[in-house]
Amino acid sequence: MAKSIDTGTMISETFQRKVIEPSTPSAYSDSCHVGPDALLGIKRQQTNPTRWNGQSWQEFAAALRDHDIELRENIAARGTFATDAGGTAYGLPHGVVIARSAAQVSALLKAAQQFRVPVTVRGGGLTTEGESVAFGGVLLDMTGMSQVLHVDTDALTVRTEGGIFWHSLAEELRRHGMDYLSAPLNLTSSVGGTLGVGGIDVNSPRLGCSADQALSVQVVTPRGNIVECSDTQNAELFQRVILGYGQFGVITEATLKIRRYTPLRMHYFYYDSLRIAVEDMQLLNRNDASDYSGILTIMDCAVNLLVAFDSDEREAAFRANWQSHLRGHGEPGFALCMLRRYVLRPWKLPEAWFLFQRKRELFPEFRRSEYMRDGLMHDRTVVFSRAVWKFWGSKQMVIPDLATSAEKFVEAVERGNAVCRKYFPHYTLYCVGIKLRPEHKAHYEMSCIPPDAEGWAYGCEFEPMIGGQVYSRDYFQSFKNAIYDIGVDLGGSYYRFGGMMKGYIRRVFGDEVVDRHLAMKREADPAMILNRDVIF
Amino acid sequence: MLGFFKNAFSPRRDHADCSGCSLCLLVCPVWRQSRDISLTPQGHFKAMQHGLSTADPAASVENCTLCMACEPVCPENIDITGTILELRRQLSAPLWLRELQTRIAERAAKPVASPTASSILLTDQALLAHPDTLARAVRLLGGEGAISTSGDCFDISLALEAGATISEQHRERFLTPLRQMKKIIVADGLLLRYLKQWLPYASIIGLGEALSGHAGVRRNLCATDLYVIEPRAYHSDYQRLVKYYDRLRVTHGCAFNLDLQRIAIPATARNLSQRLGLTMPNDEGQTRWVLHGRSINRIVVENLEERAALEKASSFPVVHLADLADVHEV
Ligand SMILES: Cc1cc2nc3c(=O)[nH]c(=O)nc-3n(C[C@H](O)[C@H](O)[C@H](O)COP(=O)(O)OP(=O)(O)OC[C@H]3O[C@@H](n4cnc5c(N)ncnc54)[C@H](O)[C@@H]3O)c2cc1C
Ligand code: SF4
Ligand code: SF4
Repeated sequence: MAKSIDTGTMISETFQRKVIEPSTPSAYSDSCHVGPDALLGIKRQQTNPTRWNGQSWQEFAAALRDHDIELRENIAARGTFATDAGGTAYGLPHGVVIARSAAQVSALLKAAQQFRVPVTVRGGGLTTEGESVAFGGVLLDMTGMSQVLHVDTDALTVRTEGGIFWHSLAEELRRHGMDYLSAPLNLTSSVGGTLGVGGIDVNSPRLGCSADQALSVQVVTPRGNIVECSDTQNAELFQRVILGYGQFGVITEATLKIRRYTPLRMHYFYYDSLRIAVEDMQLLNRNDASDYSGILTIMDCAVNLLVAFDSDEREAAFRANWQSHLRGHGEPGFALCMLRRYVLRPWKLPEAWFLFQRKRELFPEFRRSEYMRDGLMHDRTVVFSRAVWKFWGSKQMVIPDLATSAEKFVEAVERGNAVCRKYFPHYTLYCVGIKLRPEHKAHYEMSCIPPDAEGWAYGCEFEPMIGGQVYSRDYFQSFKNAIYDIGVDLGGSYYRFGGMMKGYIRRVFGDEVVDRHLAMKREADPAMILNRDVIF
Repeated sequence: MLGFFKNAFSPRRDHADCSGCSLCLLVCPVWRQSRDISLTPQGHFKAMQHGLSTADPAASVENCTLCMACEPVCPENIDITGTILELRRQLSAPLWLRELQTRIAERAAKPVASPTASSILLTDQALLAHPDTLARAVRLLGGEGAISTSGDCFDISLALEAGATISEQHRERFLTPLRQMKKIIVADGLLLRYLKQWLPYASIIGLGEALSGHAGVRRNLCATDLYVIEPRAYHSDYQRLVKYYDRLRVTHGCAFNLDLQRIAIPATARNLSQRLGLTMPNDEGQTRWVLHGRSINRIVVENLEERAALEKASSFPVVHLADLADVHEV
């Protein structure tokens, strides 16, 4: 039998235990989000994997025990990781291991390779297609490796363990007056998970994606070797690990670029046309006219372009050279626009009411006094991320996306918007540019970066507001397929192409590229145990 | 149509609503020490959603320090403290808790003493153990004629923290004299939270806020101070107090034990058994994190338990707010 949790080391028996019956059975039934209206006749593209059969599990567990690795097999530990942020893929691992060191991860992977036991690595678990859900085998919880190892304020680098949440890293860096460059706006994605997926921030149009911040990483390969890699050392492995969806190794440590912390000078422009807002955002990006930019829609006729700066000088240059080129309005101007719109269309008053309510709820959140000093926004990632969770987070999150070259982006957004309209009464689009690094072309192959993008790639997330509504999984699936089909059509890519959407990978990248990567994967991971069913 | 304004007017929710966002981990001292999700609200709520036997979260329920830092950050507005206390209630009571309940029952049978002043300071045990600081606090808050002190609340606080059921009769006996008070000042942040629920119309304030509002105390706060906010009181009225302390920062320039989410970092991480002295506390990780990277000359605390921990961990002078005012003002 494998080791169980030793809670006794944490606390003495203050209380004796007794068995307790569930107090509110309804709480369990309320949590089921799969509606009874499964749509018949929709061609399903999803590839929800079957559960691993558990062969040799006992031998594997014994091997871990020999290495003093704590394996938790109780339902509490396994149930904690039954789904990811998406909440549509469900699976239980046979056991959970909390990552504690590269050596421990190495021993785990060697045993997994020997007994052919699947290992699913989980950082923040913020995937939405089940990529970080284990359908049997071991779930490796990377958050156990959350230490910051060294901050170098002269070289502007940090060495950190791979399981750390970006927010925890930011907390540590701020004690040194520093900040990371760019990271997902949600506080709880992990460094390792993000380097493998991408990492888009509103400063990505200028600084690139998070994955491009990594100077080097320590990786435990699927065969259990601990390897340091970078652009100059073991470069091939580095190319496959960065943006590689955890296929070629577990990221246990990373050295990242950092910068001095600055508060933000924020500007918001409002548009009633998606196309014009996107064109203006691209204008700013092309001309390096702002430090931050991104689009967030309330409705497709109420589009917000956020523009921000790290310094007074950059803001002044924007005001002098670029502000007049933007076709958006300030808040009062846009309110007048909307007034005109709804006076002429009184039958659309419910829509106006929705807009008004949304503004009333959302806007104060971005102007909380404790984050504003002398007109500057401090700790923007906290402000944005908390708003993201508060207003868009829920137990089920369906966020398909499209990534294209700059030229194809307007079309992708408009077509994706039409799909959203068809499926949901309310939804949000989040659009942002990603500055590419030509020298990282090899990193980008078979990743979220579209193959034809030069200079910038652009991404748009399509996020329905589900609220209290119940939709079937098939309904969500057909919505996602409709969005992803646009990507195939345009020759783009996706930020979330793993997991249940892996069926799209061959359609998007073609057999030649996929087969080449598959051959590399087989070589690196003979038993195909690491993050199985995410890509291959 | 408005269904998706999920937090507008929504009542407190329960474990079934946990989205697994992990925001509670970021602020949890138990998580900082253990890096073990199973010891956090996310861990036990997610496990409860997916087939946990209800005896299983005992470890996380027992380890929780009730700092309440996780509540204001939870985007689903889950009553995390209430759930933890409810789970504690369902664990069987150890001997000391049964004795405590007997004591409360005996006290409830005795007549209620009439209040001697219009305001009352409900002290905690640490303050009572430091009579000089207590006396200064009383004088700053209005003087002995105007303010009476009471340690009558210790058992109630302890029972609350242990998740013990407090009968209607016992609670009434405790609340009756308080109803006549113009102002109730409370040293224990957990008791503060419950008093606000029990006496919604009374004027109830935490000791830290009461003392930091005193002009003589404020005058002596300076930009090189690290001001350590007592987490329980702060988190129990977070939306208001985050603004209150931010104003204090603007006017006095001192640093606070706040993280980037403006959540108070506890300087101690003691679960109930450690607070009762049944097991050894291990505050080192927390105090180190509070002090890490600070350029300060002095530490000012609202809570005496935290003073002791910080004195042990640093070479800076550590003073309680009550000891900050000039002698002639006390
Ligand atoms: C509410 C919300 C908001 C979001 N906002 C943004 C945003 O603003 N920008 C953005 O870019 N993304 C965003 N995302 C997507 C999410 O941030 C990314 O999926 C995230 O970067 C993944 O990090 P993670 O730690 O959660 O990884 P996980 O979900 O845990 O894992 C991602 C993949 O990497 C693998 N993996 C995890 N850790 C490691 C490791 N150490 N080594 C090797 N492989 C590993 C996993 O097996 C999985 O396949 C958002 C998601 C949500 C739910
Ligand atoms: S109350 Fe404090 S210790 Fe308990 S779970 Fe919340 S943050 Fe952690
Ligand atoms: S913050 Fe709230 S919703 Fe998020 S994981 Fe913790 S308890 Fe669950």
